[in-house]
Amino acid sequence: MTKLVRLLPRISMQAFLMVSVCITIFPFVWVAMMGTHSRSEIYSSPPPFYFGTRLLENYEKLLEVMPFWTVLGNSLLVSVLGTIVTVLFCSMCAFGFFAYEFRGKNIVFGVMVASMMVPPVLTLIPFFLTVKFLGILDTHFALWFPTSANAMGIFLIRQYMVTSVSRDLLDAAKVDGASDLRIYWSVVLPLIKPVLATLAIIVFIALWNNFLTPLIVISSPEKYVLTLALRSLQSVANTPWGAVMLGTFMSMIPLLLAFLFFSKQMMAGLTAGAVKG
Amino acid sequence: MAGVELRNLRKSFGKVEVLKGLDLKVEDGEFVALVGPSGCGKSTLLRILAGLEEETAGDVLIGGEVVNDLSPRERNIAMVFQSYALYPHMTVAENMGFNLKISSKPKAEIKARVQETAEILDLVHLLDRKPSQLSGGQRQRVAMGRALVRNPDVFLFDEPLSNLDAKLRVQMREEIKRLHHKVRTTKIYVTHDQIEAMTLADRVVILDRGIIQQVGTPTELYRNPANAFVAGFIGSPAMNFLPGMLQSDSDTARIELEDGSVLTAPRKPNHPRDGKVLLGLRPEHIMLGEGTGTSNALTGRIDLIEPTGAQNHLRIKLGGQSTTVVDNNLTEVELGQNVAVHVDPDKIHIFEAGNTA
Repeated sequence: MTKLVRLLPRISMQAFLMVSVCITIFPFVWVAMMGTHSRSEIYSSPPPFYFGTRLLENYEKLLEVMPFWTVLGNSLLVSVLGTIVTVLFCSMCAFGFFAYEFRGKNIVFGVMVASMMVPPVLTLIPFFLTVKFLGILDTHFALWFPTSANAMGIFLIRQYMVTSVSRDLLDAAKVDGASDLRIYWSVVLPLIKPVLATLAIIVFIALWNNFLTPLIVISSPEKYVLTLALRSLQSVANTPWGAVMLGTFMSMIPLLLAFLFFSKQMMAGLTAGAVKG
Repeated sequence: MAGVELRNLRKSFGKVEVLKGLDLKVEDGEFVALVGPSGCGKSTLLRILAGLEEETAGDVLIGGEVVNDLSPRERNIAMVFQSYALYPHMTVAENMGFNLKISSKPKAEIKARVQETAEILDLVHLLDRKPSQLSGGQRQRVAMGRALVRNPDVFLFDEPLSNLDAKLRVQMREEIKRLHHKVRTTKIYVTHDQIEAMTLADRVVILDRGIIQQVGTPTELYRNPANAFVAGFIGSPAMNFLPGMLQSDSDTARIELEDGSVLTAPRKPNHPRDGKVLLGLRPEHIMLGEGTGTSNALTGRIDLIEPTGAQNHLRIKLGGQSTTVVDNNLTEVELGQNVAVHVDPDKIHIFEAGNTA
């Protein structure tokens, strides 16, 4: 009895975690299951909570209603390019804020941090007008480039640098004869890998899941990204939900792979600084 | 190799003037220690020498050339930092060879020079390790190796031993001294530890509040301190200062202490004018006992006894002041006991009343 009482907090916590995990993964499992059923099976009552036999049919239907692999390629191009350039630009900018003293530095940094409080929806129309002015409407470039030096990324990396890169290291590198670019590339970047991985996965997910920007920027169907293409299927007569669900599930796979690839370093980045090392 | 010279060097941070017109000449191959209390400007001076900080006015010369506008790399100096500042993601060999790699030296040459330096510093077996896998002393040696491998004109050390424990500090001090005998490059060594400065350096520069108080060999500073600050800073335990009134004639200086006792010393040209002065007595120069006829005799009560093994440190009330006395003879004394002490007239220092360390 006393043993049970002693274990109760642990058991409750584990039960809570298990319920949370179930709630989290339910939509993924549900989408995967629905991707193996026909439209009529999905609409039956009660809905089937098991894997069906219509996977190939749904796949064929998916390719019939949308150029799935082209669209997936577009999404990958936008997300990968955007992630690489964002991580590069944000880390360079953060290095500037971290390593140099210049007039108005704190004001610029403050304004930049304050800009994070503006709701993204509020910037949609100015964003559209800017993109139109620049003549990059209906291009993939407009999907990833304008956000490649974003305040959140710069803030995140700069804060990480403050806690994990000693200023003596910068001085030592200068005395060793390293140029500013060399210090950034050879000394600072290797030391901030965890936060780079964190930012990479955040940006990758954000670009992959982005719906609003493609909606206002992209108009040619051959340039659609996944979110836009899957949403457009809803306007097809008798929406083939099995195919839509299969497409949705397949679109999640790159995210899962990215997370598996970066998760260890991402966790290190998120928890860094929490405990003095 | 090259000498270093400072000409009227000034540095201000906003309205605060940290270095107030320093003039100093360090000869080629000389080992000079900059020593002073925290905030005296010694690290700032070192950073200016390294090119990491810009001077507000004045000139820095290395090898006879003004280097004010040269980058750290162009000055050909090497610096050992207090925190070691080793690149954590690189191995010992990579840390040591980083500068050579930047200078685009051939791989074979980098390897050979790193190996050669590692042999001097006994680091060969550690070359493939990362800094996190090294002890404090080993990291310190790697930091020195990184500086040494470049064959610089000038070595700068910024309190390199202050992160080590007492035993290791003594050991590393010996290694640095041995290294200087092997590689007679100009070395400028910043520390707040006067023992470190005295044991290592050919000459010691005492800095206080941005002003050079005195430059001299360790023995000169100990025997003939220029002012009360230097006198109080050099020597351990620190010199005792007793306020008194000076009356002097052409041969003799006569000082009356607060309790009325009188000490005499031979008159020296650097003595201040008659009036209020500070009498400086080193703890090791105050002897227990009556002394001979020529020595100055005083009596006082013992307030504290601190045995250190080889000697006893006694706190004795002399001339109205609590005074430290070092007794090398380990004389049997008791708390509260009245004892006689004497001071050799030649060992008495007289300073203007004012600033002490």
